[in-house]
Amino acid sequence: MLLMNYITCIILIVLGLYTIVTKKNAMKIVIGMGLLDYGINLLLISVGFKAGGTAPIFTISELDRTSFFVDPVPQALTLTSIVIGACVTALALALVIMINKHYGTLDTDKVRRLKG
Amino acid sequence: MSNKNVKVKEYIIKSAADFFAPIGLILGIYIILHGHLSPGGGFQGGVIVASAAVLIYLGYGYETATNTLKPNLLKKSEAIGALMYSFFALLGIFYAANFCRNVFYNVGNPGDLFSSGTIFLMNFAVGYKVLTGVGFLILLMFGLLANKEA
Amino acid sequence: MTQHLPILAIITLFIGAFIVALIKEKNEVLRNTVVLIATFMSFIFTLMMYKPIIGEGNIITYWMGNWEPVQNWAIGIGLEVDQLSLFFGLFISLSIVLSALYSFKYIEKETGKDKYYVLFLMMSASVMGFIFTGDLFNMYVMIEIMTFASVALTAFRNNKPEAVEAGFKYIAIGSIGSSLILLATVIIYAQFHTLNLAQIAGELHNNYTITTLFALALMVVGYAVKVFAVPTHFVAPDAYMTAPSSISMLFSGIVNKAAVYGILRVLYVVYQSMNLPSVQFMLIFWGTVTMFIGVTMALAQHDFKRLLAFHSISQIGYVITGIGLATALGITGGLYHALNHTLFKGLLFLCAGAVYYATGTTDLDKLGGLAKRMPQTALIFIIGAFSISGIPPFNGFVSKWIIYQASYEAGYAPVTIIALIVSVMTLASFIKVAQSAFFGQLPKEFKNVEEVPLSMRVPMWIMAILCIVGGIFPSSFTKYLITPAANAVMNSAKYVEVMMGPEFASKFYNNLGNAPVIDYKLAGYWQPIAWLILFGILLLAFTLVALLGGFNPKHFSYSDEEDAKYDVFYSGESAEFSHVGGSDLFWGLKYQFRHYFDLMHKIHNGVVNDYALSVVLTAAVVLLYVFTFVR
Repeated sequence: MLLMNYITCIILIVLGLYTIVTKKNAMKIVIGMGLLDYGINLLLISVGFKAGGTAPIFTISELDRTSFFVDPVPQALTLTSIVIGACVTALALALVIMINKHYGTLDTDKVRRLKG
Repeated sequence: MSNKNVKVKEYIIKSAADFFAPIGLILGIYIILHGHLSPGGGFQGGVIVASAAVLIYLGYGYETATNTLKPNLLKKSEAIGALMYSFFALLGIFYAANFCRNVFYNVGNPGDLFSSGTIFLMNFAVGYKVLTGVGFLILLMFGLLANKEA
Repeated sequence: MTQHLPILAIITLFIGAFIVALIKEKNEVLRNTVVLIATFMSFIFTLMMYKPIIGEGNIITYWMGNWEPVQNWAIGIGLEVDQLSLFFGLFISLSIVLSALYSFKYIEKETGKDKYYVLFLMMSASVMGFIFTGDLFNMYVMIEIMTFASVALTAFRNNKPEAVEAGFKYIAIGSIGSSLILLATVIIYAQFHTLNLAQIAGELHNNYTITTLFALALMVVGYAVKVFAVPTHFVAPDAYMTAPSSISMLFSGIVNKAAVYGILRVLYVVYQSMNLPSVQFMLIFWGTVTMFIGVTMALAQHDFKRLLAFHSISQIGYVITGIGLATALGITGGLYHALNHTLFKGLLFLCAGAVYYATGTTDLDKLGGLAKRMPQTALIFIIGAFSISGIPPFNGFVSKWIIYQASYEAGYAPVTIIALIVSVMTLASFIKVAQSAFFGQLPKEFKNVEEVPLSMRVPMWIMAILCIVGGIFPSSFTKYLITPAANAVMNSAKYVEVMMGPEFASKFYNNLGNAPVIDYKLAGYWQPIAWLILFGILLLAFTLVALLGGFNPKHFSYSDEEDAKYDVFYSGESAEFSHVGGSDLFWGLKYQFRHYFDLMHKIHNGVVNDYALSVVLTAAVVLLYVFTFVR
């Protein structure tokens, strides 16, 4: 089951990079950036998983001697990473809106006044 | 906007928004306040509260949303939330410990709402910052779209 | 009190940013006061760390919330400031103060100043946090905040299409870089279940697996994207050019330097991989390519700030080469050049900003003769230009000389030669700028320009004086700043020992506590004689080649030229008809190497997809290299 996670996150990362590299639409590039982020987040949350572990919450009554926690650190890290990803997406979308306003297009082949 | 179908659709969304916005607000505030006891915390609760802003926008349109929520106030509140967090974190230094140290933690019984010292307050500051920040962000984005339509 | 200094240096900037967000946009006096106080306090806090850290040789460690390691296992977020961090922290906080001072007048006419200062302080704070942290994930968060603020500041003049375009390109490329860093962090966490740099360093000591090497490659590429090393540098000129000059200065002065620090920290202290010849070769090769391509692209530019941006890339190449040599002299040269680059490149960007402030353009074709109207700016520009080109009494000469000598001693003579050539080309392109912006004919529309206000000149003069001081007293600079930092770079064991305790460190390191003795052969470092001899040899070589007919124009066939202006280069017959643009001083050189320049222009094509592709390809090549050669 965990193997499936790893395969999926690699697919997501590669798909994200592929989208950024090949798609000419600025909006799709933002989507690619998102995919890249989600792939890494999935990897991060999978790293902390332990089969059979319970949620890392301090609830004495429900714990017995055999139970153990999954690693809580990656969950905190994933949350941070999601927040950052959301901010980056918001900023990128704002820039896409501005590009559309100035250039009248989202085609990256046409949005290239800065070159050389 | 003169299309009749749109009006009916808006009515449905408005009813749904009326129903779900208070639930979102209460749930979000609950999650912020119980951040030190249960899963969730400032950020998660803040985002849920901010989703109420989306519902208000969907139900009542951009004008009403900005009039009710006042983006400028939200912007200032975000900075206040961040300052609150910095202040509570700096309390650690004032109380002869390190930055972010939890002080006043001997109050109350474990499991109570007021039992965790400044962690609770820090969580509240983060929640306040996030709900205002994300709310402002959402309104800003909608504002850009609304300007484009006009 | 001492142990609180690092967090205070970071948090004052953050608090300053939040307070600025509260102030009304119209209230300029209050806002400027808050910005100045916040940046200056941060600088003072950093300065106060000088005595305990560099003076007495201690390392400050700080555990957030008193979460100290339990059973040799770091569970909290730690700050750790050693001599290397403090070295970077000192000049970064200084340039933040100077940039803030410069900004007050410079962006006076713009709108949205409150947002500018919030982002400015956020960027500064994140760089300070990045420099002082001792936690791998914290490094990622800080560099991401930094990228975020940099992108927003790049697009600050969002009424200009170019600024928005540069911002979008920057965020697309920058987020790939950040994602690579995050991926590497995740992989390292999965291996060692810790994020503390010192603990990872201990675990990684002589203990490479294929997985950690994978993380190494990703992390190096991630920081290379942030440092704008060559195949990933395409967004740098766009961003530097369109951002306000006070921000361009910070891009080259602190954002780039933070990434240099990241490379140093990861390769030297965390991985301790710099004793491997393969890693050394990778960095030296990378740095050399970076410095060469940067400077050749700069020759072909005709925008002041874009030219400076390419020079910034080129100079970072020197720094990477220096730190890649992994000898004491090489690290000294690299660190010294990093410091000098912050000073003279900041100075030059501020000059470009002054020109923009006075005339409203940075296009070299439109400028000219400004030395008459702005004598102080012209003088400061010449100091900066001489520093960056490595002319003797200025600081660039010293650090470049150390790098030449270190690369020659390490057995990389071709690198020395390329570095020399790059230095000459740097001088050439600054002659071009001086000629077309400050000397020559003053265009009519600039008859009434005036010298920039005092508050803009003061930061420029401070940096100019530091440039001269760094060139005249190099030995005291190295003794009081750079040698301790270079020692800290070489001594990973002490870093681990101070952070995690001697018990933990002794598990991995045999010789604890005694730093490896660094042998500074600074003998040839300030000997103009050697420089003169080299100059003489080069002159002799050129004369010989010329006598043997190497430069005989008869060898070239230029009769089928469509443009008569190239004839001038050989015979000058049609000189009266040809007109050379002010910024086109080296048209002959550009014509001779037209295939190279055409190729370069084709590569810098402005399509963000291609830029992203080059980052991905770089990652692939570095991965292959690391898997094949690094053991």
